[in-house]
This record gives sequence, structure tokens and C-alpha cells, in this order.
Amino acid sequence: MIEFINVTKKYDHDVCAMDNVNLKINKGEFAFLVGPSGSGKSTFLKLMIKEEEPTSGKILIDGKDITKIKKKDVPFLRRKIGFVFQDFRLLYDRTVEENIIFALRIIEASEREIKAQLKAVLQMVGLTGKEKYYPNQLSGGEQQRVALARALATKPPILIADEPTGNLDPKTAEEIFKTLLEINARGTTILVVTHAKDIVNELSKRVIALDHGKVVKDDAKGVY
Amino acid sequence: MTTNSYLIKEGYDNLNKHGSKTISTMLIICATMLILGIFIIILQNVNSNVETLRLEQGLQAFIDDNATDEDIAYMEDEIKLIEGVSEIEYMDKNEAYEDAKNQFKNQEYFLDGLEQLDIFPASFIVKFTNIEEAERIKADTEKIDGIYKVKYNADTIDAVISISKIANGFLLGVGIVLLVVSIFIISNTIKLAVYSNKREIFIMRYIGATNGFIVKPFIVEGAIMGIVSALISFIIISIVYVYIYVSLNTSYALGVFKFIPYSTIWYQILLAYIVLGLFIGIFGSAISLKKYLKV
Repeated sequence: MIEFINVTKKYDHDVCAMDNVNLKINKGEFAFLVGPSGSGKSTFLKLMIKEEEPTSGKILIDGKDITKIKKKDVPFLRRKIGFVFQDFRLLYDRTVEENIIFALRIIEASEREIKAQLKAVLQMVGLTGKEKYYPNQLSGGEQQRVALARALATKPPILIADEPTGNLDPKTAEEIFKTLLEINARGTTILVVTHAKDIVNELSKRVIALDHGKVVKDDAKGVY
Repeated sequence: MTTNSYLIKEGYDNLNKHGSKTISTMLIICATMLILGIFIIILQNVNSNVETLRLEQGLQAFIDDNATDEDIAYMEDEIKLIEGVSEIEYMDKNEAYEDAKNQFKNQEYFLDGLEQLDIFPASFIVKFTNIEEAERIKADTEKIDGIYKVKYNADTIDAVISISKIANGFLLGVGIVLLVVSIFIISNTIKLAVYSNKREIFIMRYIGATNGFIVKPFIVEGAIMGIVSALISFIIISIVYVYIYVSLNTSYALGVFKFIPYSTIWYQILLAYIVLGLFIGIFGSAISLKKYLKV
């Protein structure tokens, strides 16, 4: 599903953010991407959605080398990857359902699809009944669920969560991970960037550790 | 709701969201459009009056006294062959005398007894398709056998040409300046709109919005501002013009200058305003989007 082949990314002044990385994440897998600040996690994600170009190497998403796709096709690549941010990135002047519909409009979904998907994702993240609420009327955990629902609305085969529980208390964080596991169980490939050591250790999933732009650890049932 | 109608709605919502900025932008656009409209109307009136003058101008080619009817027919044919001649009229000696009498209206006694002296020569009155070729047509006419003199009102013709040229040049200059100002104002408003929607645009990019999807609401916003400004300007200028037309055209204050009736130019002004409004709105937005959205 996601494959990095000899990927190197150098910024100006020869700062090497990604150093000959080889990595494969299979379809339906759940993986954690861990590492200290500056280890290359953000660069890894930016390369995946083509916000950055690698200096050398190939990146395959769903079997397609994205280093070769044209600029105008980038939006269609991004539709394959749902993104959840630490700070939720919601539109605070729109209701829960408007935030979700916003994503569906972008992919030019029909009215019927919008209706069906809205219902499905709200149910999936446990927000049924909160459609008309504004994000500010919700708790942090609920806001992250809205973000999750928005990312899932477009039915992406891959979901990336960048520090999804960084702003949440442990109990809420646990609930969010529970939801992520449920989503994964339905077939979505999930990559979570996190510092939540306890949860990583508890879930016993694949853990990929980066440091100085290199993969320093890649365990199938790893710990932080 | 289709994607396009959604994007139009988003553009309209943006206008409401930036309410005070939208109103101030439209007021400035209206002001520039009104100034431009006034210049267009002045120019149209000048051009219309110049055109009337142009049509009245011509040259007079005097025929030798001993020319026969055949000679006259030959000369007429030759003049008709000159490029740029639109109309030719023969004036015999009697008509020339009558014409002189007309010119001395109320003082006909000056001409008493002159009819018998046979001093008024027969001539051709020649009109042009293009006044600017008068000098050449005069020279060509002079070459024809049997024409002994050609006269035309060079001063009037030169004045007409230069008035028209100055007015057109001035309008072009003013028009370009006002157009640039309007585009700059719209592009500045859209720049602010882009900044205030930065968060939204960021999310859109991550979800996979195409450039077209991101820019359309801003283009709609610019186009609506342009069109609404155009319509407001049109209404104001129509009222003002009709008022001036009614007040001044019936008086003799303007001498020979005649205002064009508004019914013959309103659609030209409306069309010019709408095209201009759309152009300013769309082009102004596009400049900002290209610069600040990097699309």
C-alpha cells in the first residue's frame, strides 16, 4: 500500500531529513511511526502526500510511483489518504455535519453519497446526534472524532493520524485509538505518528522508529 | 446541489463574510466606473457630433465655363472613380446663384443683378467616405481636365480630425489608468479573502481539492463584485445622463453641439459596464490567486 524505495530527502545546506529509507506498509496494516523531534517523521508524511519531493528514490502509493505523477494529479493522490491532525484543523464556523460535508463536496460527491456517507461516518466515530453542534460546543475528544469522520468521509484506503491524541487526556486518547482500531478492522491501512508510549506498548502493533532520517527499528509487534 | 452551484454559493458567502470590505471595494469600483462612464459618454457625444460635421464636409470642384455637357459627364465619371469619394452632386449656374442667395439670407440685395452677369460657375459638390483623405482627393480632383479650381474647408476639417483624435487618446489614457486601479483594488480584496480563508484552503488541499475547486469561489466573489458595481454605476449614470439630456439639449447653451438620445446608447453602456465589471472582477481575482495561492 505504502512503499518507500531508497528514499533520500535533503533540504538546503545538505540537511538530510530522510536517508535512504526502504519501507513497506501493507494493505490493511496498522503501524506506528515513532521517533524524537527532527527524526524525519514529518518529512515522511509530507513525502507521502507529495507536499515534498524526494531528492532520490521511489515512493509507491497503492502501487503507483507518486514521484512521477503530475502536479494536476496530486489532489487525486491525496484523496487516497485521509489525514488527521493533532490540532484537529476543523472549521469552527461550520457545524459537525458541515465539516464532514465540506470534505465530500471537495471530492464532488453526489447528494445521495453525501447523505449516506455522512450517516455512516458519524456512526463509525460515535457522533450520531451531534450533527448540528459547532466544534466549540464539543470536547477535545469529540472534536478529534469529527476530524476522523471528515478524513474517513471520502473513503480513503489509507489513514494517517499525526499525533492524534497529543492534545487529549489519556482516557480520551484511549477511546480515539479504539476507534482507529475499529476503522482498521474495516480494511483501512492506518499509520499513526505518536509519542503516546503507553498506548503503543499496549496495542502491540507494528512500530517503525525513525532517527536522523533513518529507520532504526521496525518490529511487527513492537514497543516504543 | 451540484458542485458548481455549491462553489457559487461559497463565493457569495465569502462576500457576506467580508461584508464591510466588500462594500468599500464595490464603492471604489463604482466610483472608477462612473468616471470611466462619464468619459465614454463624453467621447460618444463628441464622436457623434464630429461624425455629423464630417458628413457635412466636402469639397467643391469648379467647372470651366466652356465645358460641354459631355465634358461635364466625363468629369463626373472621373471624380466618381477617385477612391474615397462617397457622393457627388452637380450644381449648375442657377443652383450656384440660389446657393449664394441662401448663404446671404436676409442680405440678398448684395447679389442683386449678379445673376445676369453669369459670375457663378457650375461645380461638383464631392463628399468623402473618410475625411482624413480630403487632401489626396482634392489633389486627384484637380488633375481632371475641365476642373479649374478645387476648394475645401481645410481648417474645419483639420479641427474636426484633431478634436476627435485628442478625445479618443485622452479616453484611452484615462480608461487604462482606471482599469488598472480597479483591477488592483479587486485583487487586493481577494488577497485579504485568501488570507482569511487560509485555514480552509489548507484543509482543502489535504483532502484533495483541485485548484479549480479552491479558486472558483474567489473568482465568483470577484465577478459578483464587478457585476454589482457595474449595475450600480449603470443606474447612476443613466439617471444623470437623462437629467443632463433633458436640461441641456433643449436649450441653446451648447450651440451646435447636440447630445445623443440615451435610448441609442444605453445598451452600449450597459454592455461595456458588464464586460468591464466581469473582466475587472475575474482578472483582479486571478492575479491574487496566482500570487498568493500559487495555483
